[in-house]
Amino acid sequence: MFNDTREFIEALRLSGDLLQIDEEVSWDLELGAISRLACEKDGPALLFRRITDYIEDVSVFVNPMATWRRVATAFGLSPSSSIKEIYREYEKREGRLIPPVTVNQGPCKEVVQLGSKVDLFDLPAPMLHEGDGGRYLGTWDLVVSCDLETQWVNWGMYRFMIYDSTHLTGFPRPTSHLGKVFKDYYEPRGKPMPIAIVIGADPLSHFAASATYQLGGDEASFAGGLRGAPVELVRCETSDLLVPAHSEIVIEGEVLPDRVGLEGPYGEYPGYRTGEMGNGILFRALAITHRQNPIFTVDATGYKDDSSTITAMSGALAIKRRLERHGVPVIDVYMPPEGAVHMVVIAVEFGGKEIARKILNTLTSRRALISKILMVDGDVELFDMGQVLHAFSTKCHPAHGVHVVHYENRANTLTPCYSQAERAAQSGATMLFDCTWPGEWSREWEVPVKATFDTIFGESVRRKVLDRWRSYGFNE
Amino acid sequence: MASMSEPKIWETFLRRPSDLQEGVEIPLALRDLNPGRKKYQIRHVVAIVSRKADRLPGMDRLQVRTTVGVLLPEPWHIKIVRDLPIEVPGQPYRDFFESLRTAANANID
Repeated sequence: MFNDTREFIEALRLSGDLLQIDEEVSWDLELGAISRLACEKDGPALLFRRITDYIEDVSVFVNPMATWRRVATAFGLSPSSSIKEIYREYEKREGRLIPPVTVNQGPCKEVVQLGSKVDLFDLPAPMLHEGDGGRYLGTWDLVVSCDLETQWVNWGMYRFMIYDSTHLTGFPRPTSHLGKVFKDYYEPRGKPMPIAIVIGADPLSHFAASATYQLGGDEASFAGGLRGAPVELVRCETSDLLVPAHSEIVIEGEVLPDRVGLEGPYGEYPGYRTGEMGNGILFRALAITHRQNPIFTVDATGYKDDSSTITAMSGALAIKRRLERHGVPVIDVYMPPEGAVHMVVIAVEFGGKEIARKILNTLTSRRALISKILMVDGDVELFDMGQVLHAFSTKCHPAHGVHVVHYENRANTLTPCYSQAERAAQSGATMLFDCTWPGEWSREWEVPVKATFDTIFGESVRRKVLDRWRSYGFNE
Repeated sequence: MASMSEPKIWETFLRRPSDLQEGVEIPLALRDLNPGRKKYQIRHVVAIVSRKADRLPGMDRLQVRTTVGVLLPEPWHIKIVRDLPIEVPGQPYRDFFESLRTAANANID
């Protein structure tokens, strides 16, 4: 299992899933454009060794887990594992918790900059997209915070924009775990919220931070369980927060309860730059610690970025668990990468109006990140979107099979189809397409028979055809 | 070597076109477009803006982007009157521009 970003990079190099770029590349749009195109082509992860203005200081590692091959590698599986095999492996590990261990020292403390030495412009945060509000760091990070009321320590992946040498602005959604703790505890008391922004930890710690995980859950133990070994944590210089000791860079500081700055707009994981701007939080940096010649990690956000694999997979399994707890006869759940974590496919033992309502209510009660749900019968292979599209096209009744729920104060503010006003009010809707046969239809008399080889021919005919397949002249 | 009096280039983001009023002091969040490590650094200011360069002696150039980041084709011109604090008093997750206006007015008082 990988202890840090460097070990993961070497594994990707060995499997042919890394491209090292030794030519000088500008942090100002060029790096972002290269990384975006590589992502859209399902290309390798990128390691930029020479960044303009930062030539001697630092490398930049981009799109760590944006393909299933790299996700498989991070999990210690064969890079050629299928999506379904990776889902099953994650499902095996997700319930296992291995608590972290605290150490006194770690590589992330090789260089310590405090007070007036802190300069966020020493980090090669790229201008990723033309027209973004600023240079973003934290596109591949792990943000540590603590709810002082319950002592719950949260890890999350949240974006931050460089404001000046000592300030960042950010937009952890108000419904996110960090946003909720800040709004419920720190802001009402007028207390600054200490946080640590960790850049370049081991890959499964980042996975744990970005995963859909329950409120109050311990992501450090979750990461240990995924890794099969505890994460080593070391104390921050300016707070009691603990960060992965083998991280590349740690930015320590506090979110201010009564001060603001301009944040955004920013090209985000849904694949668009929506108009959210100026409604975020302001962070004051107090310290930067890092390894010698640190590696700055980046997710070139947009269509098919890292969220399309890891956030989607963890989200799908989290949805499966919630539906099981709420009595939905769920068989399996899949979130296709092209759906930008906005669409989910749910296979059920039986569907119908009541199950549709139950699913909608369960998935929109606290925060509603998913806006499209396809509910299908168990005979549909979820991981084959051709089959899913076929079920949707043929089995979803256009009048009776579409269910919609509307909500306020918990919609996904990054959903592109919402208007600026809807986004400001966090109002939105989720629709469910029921692609199952009505339960009241007779299986013998009414349910149409699927016209595929496996379903419309008897066993003897199928066996005969398969046995003689090559003799007919087919190669496979 | 660049002259000290050479105009600088700034950029600002607006919610709507009417947020840029000509000839009066308005609060703005500007970002510095001049090259180097600190490119895109933000600065809060009170400034006077104009569509025409000759109306404001000693002015800098101002580019304007919309709320979704689209660059408007016509550049503006800007004269910075005074700076505002980088930490603007205000409520997180609320409208930053309103807080900036309040800060600018408080600064006058």
